Amino acid sequence: MRIYHVTAPRAAIAALVFLCATAGTAAAQWLSLPLPGTPRTADGKPNLTAPTPRTADGKPDLSGIWRADTMRYNDNLLPPGTQAPMLPWAAELYKHRVDTRGYDRPMTRCMPHGVPDAMTVAGLPFKILQIPGETVVLFEEFHKYRQIHTDGRQLPVDPDPAWYGYSIGRWEGETFVVETAGFKEGSWLDNSGHPHTEALHLTERFHRINYGRMDLDVDVNDPKAYSRPWKSDTLHFLQQPDTELLEHLCENNRDLEHLRDFSQPAPSTTGKQ
Amino acid sequence: MRTRLAILMCVASIAVSGRALAHHSFAAEFDDTKPVKLTGTVTKLEWTNPHIWFFMDVKEPNGAVSNWGFEMGGPGQLLRAGWKRDSMKIGDVVTVEARRARDGSNHANAQTVILASTGQRMFAASSQGQN
Repeated sequence: MRIYHVTAPRAAIAALVFLCATAGTAAAQWLSLPLPGTPRTADGKPNLTAPTPRTADGKPDLSGIWRADTMRYNDNLLPPGTQAPMLPWAAELYKHRVDTRGYDRPMTRCMPHGVPDAMTVAGLPFKILQIPGETVVLFEEFHKYRQIHTDGRQLPVDPDPAWYGYSIGRWEGETFVVETAGFKEGSWLDNSGHPHTEALHLTERFHRINYGRMDLDVDVNDPKAYSRPWKSDTLHFLQQPDTELLEHLCENNRDLEHLRDFSQPAPSTTGKQ
Repeated sequence: MRTRLAILMCVASIAVSGRALAHHSFAAEFDDTKPVKLTGTVTKLEWTNPHIWFFMDVKEPNGAVSNWGFEMGGPGQLLRAGWKRDSMKIGDVVTVEARRARDGSNHANAQTVILASTGQRMFAASSQGQN
């Protein structure tokens, strides 16, 4: 503590004193943290309708902590009332997953949600760090991260398959367009269980409407699982101002033993290429 | 305090809408159609990821005592809902609104916890629904 006092700038000490004076509990110190970059209304509250922040190069800045405004996208990525054009083997597997109430979701065995559904877990927010050359997404769920390269590189021709795939991003006007390929099989596109193969190619279009809101549209293209490309519903995310991510680990997966064992085997994926 | 209340109300709204907050399938483990409301004395609290569990002794109408276990959200989810790790202590009398486990055991997914000492009703950040 003495070292901190000697070396810390006076402003930091003042901020620390302010925090200690205003924070009701230790937890509140990072759950409700008045951050200097947050735009505010006259009464000091975060101004969620303030203009979209910009980076030094004038691009919209997607940085910040975000949370989906509903669990509906996590439940099913598609617009309500629509169905994905699944090939027969995919439809059979999907039906099995629905019939078994999602017992064998990857999370049951401590594997995280994937792309894009890791962003749609409304109870566990994510943080975007937009820096020159890459944009990083930190997922609170299980302490995971995803890298989106923005240094102009292309997608690798034959990448080693990965849970989050390999992502590159570029700006098209106000929209951040992310192409991702090189997926490993195993993740589900949503909690309902829409499957994918290693042939999956996702195009995500992020658009920050203002300080408080960001939208995302996802194009799903996996010719080995679906008869044609399809589009997600438009996903809405809400900025979580003046707070921080908390630790969430799968340190104790005893839930597995509590889970009712819907142990009938998944259908053989006959017809899958 | 207003901020904490806002956070609490925000999380409570998530609960009311039945969103998922846990890491596994709620529906595979618990039955949303089997609500249970129990009052008992806390015997054990495991404040750990990805789900907090606590246990309490419940006195049956015939005088027998049975021990129940309740799953809640993770520590981060409960912190955001206004909990602290010492909000509920061993020996506290609490009333729990929960959904029973499908296997018929004395396990349930807690939706809310009401502290008898203060009457405070706390959202348990349970995994109702999804995720």
